[in-house]
Amino acid sequence: MTDEADGRTAPIAARVHLAHAVVQKLADDRDIDLLHLKGPAVLPGLRAEGRHSSDVDVLVRPSHLARLAEALEWVGWEKRTDFSTGSVFAHAANWWHDDWGWVDVHVHWPGVMADAEEAFDVLSRTSVMLPIAHRDCRVPDRVSQRLILVLHSARSGGTSDVDHAWIAADPAEQDAVRRLAVELDAEVALAAGIGELELHRSHPTYRLWKYFSDGGSRTDEWRARLAAASGPRAKARLATAVLRVNRDHLRMELGRPPTRAEIRDRQRLRVRRAVDELARRVKRS
Amino acid sequence: MTHTYRIADDVAWVSQEDLDADAEPTAYLTRVPRGMPIMLEGSGCLVWLALADGGTLEEVTASAAAMSDAAVEDVRDDVAELVDQLVVIGVVRED
Repeated sequence: MTDEADGRTAPIAARVHLAHAVVQKLADDRDIDLLHLKGPAVLPGLRAEGRHSSDVDVLVRPSHLARLAEALEWVGWEKRTDFSTGSVFAHAANWWHDDWGWVDVHVHWPGVMADAEEAFDVLSRTSVMLPIAHRDCRVPDRVSQRLILVLHSARSGGTSDVDHAWIAADPAEQDAVRRLAVELDAEVALAAGIGELELHRSHPTYRLWKYFSDGGSRTDEWRARLAAASGPRAKARLATAVLRVNRDHLRMELGRPPTRAEIRDRQRLRVRRAVDELARRVKRS
Repeated sequence: MTHTYRIADDVAWVSQEDLDADAEPTAYLTRVPRGMPIMLEGSGCLVWLALADGGTLEEVTASAAAMSDAAVEDVRDDVAELVDQLVVIGVVRED
């Protein structure tokens, strides 16, 4: 009467649910502290009905990262981008599995400036269990999820997440989110998400959040990143990274490891673009 | 001796009810953490949903028949065969 078929044809939403469960099982078996974020880990009412994620996001206790990486490899995930190349915030490493798809492993959440280990403690102390794929997965509580969704929206130039996570929250819930943002040193990012960024014009990260809110050129992005980088060492690291080719992204684009010649070509292109953009700016001024 | 059947402890699963209630009955499952993805479509999904409540083969068959508006006699053999297969691959436990 059935119809048992190859699950590889499963829709992305199904694979994402199952992948959350796989990751939770790995964590359970190895005493790894992690929290599931976004997608099916969002508590009821905090996102639009019928919205599905295309990947799995987890926040792992930083000191448990190595154990999680080992576990992911054991079941067949491959690391495709590292923390330094995954995003502007160097906050996530992206892992790929042929059956389960993408898992984004975060050690901190963009916008949270508190120490990553301490931030994990804060978010996990009120965490709750939520069944995903009929297995208990640990997720942040409602207040934490509201903050996480607003911060994600701020970083993404504004999304409908804010409608559910912030606008629909009552004043007491909004106050709780603001208090949590203070504890996590995430007030500027929260402000960017809820339209209050101009209250933080003198903050070092103001430009960065302004860039995410309003957009801009690559030069604008890097200037904002330099302004936000704390300390001369971080600024120097960023400055040298500006023109460096992101090998992980090039590998994803090509679908295979790039050759030396391809990296060289891309490097030239990157420098040429930077020079072009600089020339345009000089002309404008 | 009468056996009872239930979904194995190491199985994660999701059905179209969790994803898109209007879609055709489909269940997606795997044994965590290293199992392959498995898909049960149509009546196979209904048997799976019946197994989620657990019970004897008679109870599972009756539940699956009720969900598919079929007579128990019409589906008995097919349900038994599928349950057997699911036990063999380890996603259903026979107690």
